[in-house]
Amino acid sequence: MPKYVMVIDVEKCIGCMACVIACKKENNVPEEHFRTRVVEEVRGEFPHLRMELRSELCNHCENAPCIDACPTRASHRAKDGTVQIDRVKCIGCKACILACPYDARYSHPKGFADKCSFCDHRLKEGKKPACVETCLGKSRIFGDIEEPKSEVAELLKKYDSSVRLEFAGTRPRVFYIKKQFAGGL
Amino acid sequence: MTEITITGLNAITHPYLEVWDWRIVIYLFLGGVSAGMLVMCSIANLRIPKHPVEELAQCVRAPLIAFVILAVGALFIIIDLGKPQSLIWGYLTFQPLSLMSWGTWGVPAVLLANALYILAVVPKEDRHRLRLPFLIKLSEKLTSKMRTIAKLNFALGIFLGIYTGVLLSSFAAIPLWNNATLPILFLVSALSSGAAMIVIIAKKYEIKFLFTKIDIWLIVAELIVILLFFYALYTSTAPYKKAIEPFFSLTSEQFIFAMALIAIFLLLPLALRIKLGELKEFEGEFHGEFTKSQILRMNFAAGLVLAGTFILRAAIVYAGQLTKLSPY
Repeated sequence: MPKYVMVIDVEKCIGCMACVIACKKENNVPEEHFRTRVVEEVRGEFPHLRMELRSELCNHCENAPCIDACPTRASHRAKDGTVQIDRVKCIGCKACILACPYDARYSHPKGFADKCSFCDHRLKEGKKPACVETCLGKSRIFGDIEEPKSEVAELLKKYDSSVRLEFAGTRPRVFYIKKQFAGGL
Repeated sequence: MTEITITGLNAITHPYLEVWDWRIVIYLFLGGVSAGMLVMCSIANLRIPKHPVEELAQCVRAPLIAFVILAVGALFIIIDLGKPQSLIWGYLTFQPLSLMSWGTWGVPAVLLANALYILAVVPKEDRHRLRLPFLIKLSEKLTSKMRTIAKLNFALGIFLGIYTGVLLSSFAAIPLWNNATLPILFLVSALSSGAAMIVIIAKKYEIKFLFTKIDIWLIVAELIVILLFFYALYTSTAPYKKAIEPFFSLTSEQFIFAMALIAIFLLLPLALRIKLGELKEFEGEFHGEFTKSQILRMNFAAGLVLAGTFILRAAIVYAGQLTKLSPY
């Protein structure tokens, strides 16, 4: 089975937010809610400032607290290793939303919990997630890490990578390379 | 200098991100009171001699009131669900790592045991009020098992009291809740509010007096655990330290939490002071009769305990959602 991961090349993000819009359009994300976001962080004292743009989304953690918190198995690990939500089984208790250290989930107005699915419907058609397809700077790279010649495997071999809140022990599958700032958020 | 520009992520900037609201607060409060009442009335019923069986139950109305309180509390968590029509899925599986799953199964289990308790303590002369013949028969059968049922309800009351705290403390993403003292704090406050509630509803003077005495110890324990709860977070790492900030700043936007903490530390010690006064007044020369003003004072002190318990739970539920493990 493939092991899908996303690599975020922080240097290449230009902050155009096309990924955010593509995601909303592709997945019918309701008003006021987002499945992904771009964080703009500025450090230093004027005029010596440095900026980092960083995409954030569900990390499809290997040790996912949202799956543990779910009372109905609506939040589950799919065969491809991604974390998915069964909308029928979800009772809307919101425990998974509170359990996620990355604020990746939200309560959909129709009652169920929702989050990034790595566009699993597109993966089944052999396509990449909408945010990856649309990324102008090619900052978001997606693929199967088990495939040694895949772009993600090559990048993770070539560069030091980090994950968000590593100390939380969730073992995310979204990796950041070429980060401007030391210390993960 | 670090400046982060992002679509707001917490309940202060975007209220729709406040995941658990007043409905959960009411559920946790009513669940706690009900748990405390079950434990306390089981203590009252198990304290008396083993025979004669028919005269066993001292605390008769408490199980019924605890049942109603818990049922109403459970209603509030059901109306909090985004898709209550899918609740059946909760009963088609049991997820041992999910505290919500424990609650899904645990609350009906407590209600069932509580229902048996209600029937077991119905006095002989009141059994006709049950109306349905099979309930009357069941009540007759259960009366002889009252002690066993009381022990079961004691254990389930402890489970329910501690469960409300474990539910919150299981979220590693929420520093204010993710603390091993929280379940203990919620258990102690549940027991204290249960004792207070029994002081209010009890007709027998000795029961009122007994639980006034018990509540003194519980209030002292609760105040100590509250201090330990905040101390544990204060001495922890940055996100945990940040999580208690709203409670200690009267000038911030979240000063309401500082007010809540002040209120708790006014209400509970005041209740303690009144109860200690009662203890001094009645001990030694207690003849089983209280005047109306004495009962009013007892009920007032119990009301203070209940208000303190409610404020504590509300403050912890809301303040917890202001600070996540990530710095924004």
